[in-house]
Amino acid sequence: MAGTDLPGTGERPITLSVRDASVVYRPSADTKRSLRDSLLGRAQRSREIHAVEGVSFDLAAGDILGIIGSNGSGKSTLLRAIAGLIPLESGSIYARSIPTLLGVGAVLQPKLSGRRNIIIGGLALGLDKMTLRDRFDDIVRFAGLGEFIDLPMQTYSSGMRARLLFSVSTIVRPELLLVDEALAVGDASFKRRSLKRLRSMAQDAGTVVLVSHKLGEIRGSCNRVIWLEKGEKRMDGEPAAVIEAYKDHWKAQDEAEAEAEQG
Amino acid sequence: METSLAKQSSTTALDGLIDVSASRTVPEYLADLWRLRNFMAEVPRADLRARNMNTLLGNVWYLVSPLLQVGVYFLVFGEILGVDRGLQNFLGYLTIGVFLFRYSQQCAIAGAKSLTTNEGLIKSIRFPRAVLPISAVTAETLALVPALGVAIVITILTGEAIEARWLLFIPYVALLVMFTMGIAFITARLNETFRDIQNILPIFFRLTFYLSGILYSIDRFTAEPDTPQWVLNVARLFPFNPWYSLITLAKSSILAEVDAPPEIWISAVSWSIVALIGGFLLFKAGESTYGRN
Repeated sequence: MAGTDLPGTGERPITLSVRDASVVYRPSADTKRSLRDSLLGRAQRSREIHAVEGVSFDLAAGDILGIIGSNGSGKSTLLRAIAGLIPLESGSIYARSIPTLLGVGAVLQPKLSGRRNIIIGGLALGLDKMTLRDRFDDIVRFAGLGEFIDLPMQTYSSGMRARLLFSVSTIVRPELLLVDEALAVGDASFKRRSLKRLRSMAQDAGTVVLVSHKLGEIRGSCNRVIWLEKGEKRMDGEPAAVIEAYKDHWKAQDEAEAEAEQG
Repeated sequence: METSLAKQSSTTALDGLIDVSASRTVPEYLADLWRLRNFMAEVPRADLRARNMNTLLGNVWYLVSPLLQVGVYFLVFGEILGVDRGLQNFLGYLTIGVFLFRYSQQCAIAGAKSLTTNEGLIKSIRFPRAVLPISAVTAETLALVPALGVAIVITILTGEAIEARWLLFIPYVALLVMFTMGIAFITARLNETFRDIQNILPIFFRLTFYLSGILYSIDRFTAEPDTPQWVLNVARLFPFNPWYSLITLAKSSILAEVDAPPEIWISAVSWSIVALIGGFLLFKAGESTYGRN
């Protein structure tokens, strides 16, 4: 198929295509209206936040894309849009299969034990009972939860939650995995194991999108980096070049600030 | 060479890719649901097991609590107020009615809560959200089966003769399950838009309970010679009440003294189909809004 033979993706088939994607938040329109407000026809404030604006990129099987940018640059929003969890204002996102999002804030069911959460999470990902039973020990071992497995998830540390979610989400070997800072809270040994798993997934023709503040993590695992600023794509290319430009930008910013303080 | 390929990338390269932001058509959505059948089979069973685990009698409360309720109604409305109006098997009449009504009410409330209690799951994993109200109703339905077994035993003990028409009880209860599923879809959607619904539902069901002929038989009142005209007028409205029609239909298969005229039958079947399909479509229309806050 000629169409898959694209510049930038080589011979590999495209697994994710983001075209001119924009996400707009309207905070008041999204919040729950009480019955009273609706009955009184209370006007809603029309404040718009352009979280992502006109971002485009294509990824192919085997790609590990890193997304960097300052806080509030739209990284997580873009990831949630790719996961299909929030609607686009304009543009389109096409994917080979439904992406799996792995986020650090996700807690599944805090009152239930880790064991129940693994079962519920696995079933919600479409696993059947037998497969889940077969892989259960693997999931628990990878998450390194030990005796905590039967305690409610709300008693877990953020690192333990992240490990459990990572373990559940990657056991199905999604073709398209989106990772949002989830590795940031793990300890060094978990980070090493999870990066290894991400690389092996990419080798199995999977595609990974990684959002992180840890530039070293991005440099060590990605083959392409996108730098987002104020929702727009600022730079896109080789990890070393983009990370260098990103660092220079902040250095210049810091210097300008220091000068302003002095003067 | 490169430019021509790059041009193609905006069109043909999308072959075989799916639009992640597109809302699913009804057949696609149903296929997604089918893929999660394991979830809908396993989660309700585990939920049921986990409930009441901390109480002394555990799951026995599922039977004891409605039975105590039936006992209270029997004493107050049957023995003291005499609302039974000569029904031979008032205890059986009460038991089936109370059990089925409670089931429907609990499904509506569980449906309303299903999205809010699973917010973490909704925010982390993409799956058809309808599995949540369906799982909630499935859990209640699994709990209903032993309760109905007890209700049947009570009607036998209170002198009801076993007949071939008892078999109709199963399809008649199935109609109620369909209707209730539709109601749970509706309450789930409404609860996402208006949180007030959780405060309104108990009042709504309390009112409906008294209007659905659970504690009395409206036919017994209209059959009396000196019935006032307004009672006759109100009685004509009863078949429009889905709970009245569906529960009366179920009772008619077990209890010899309860009749289900055609209007009851038509109402029960129409309500169950309309509520199920309408509720599902209403729920699906809100799919992208669930768990967004």
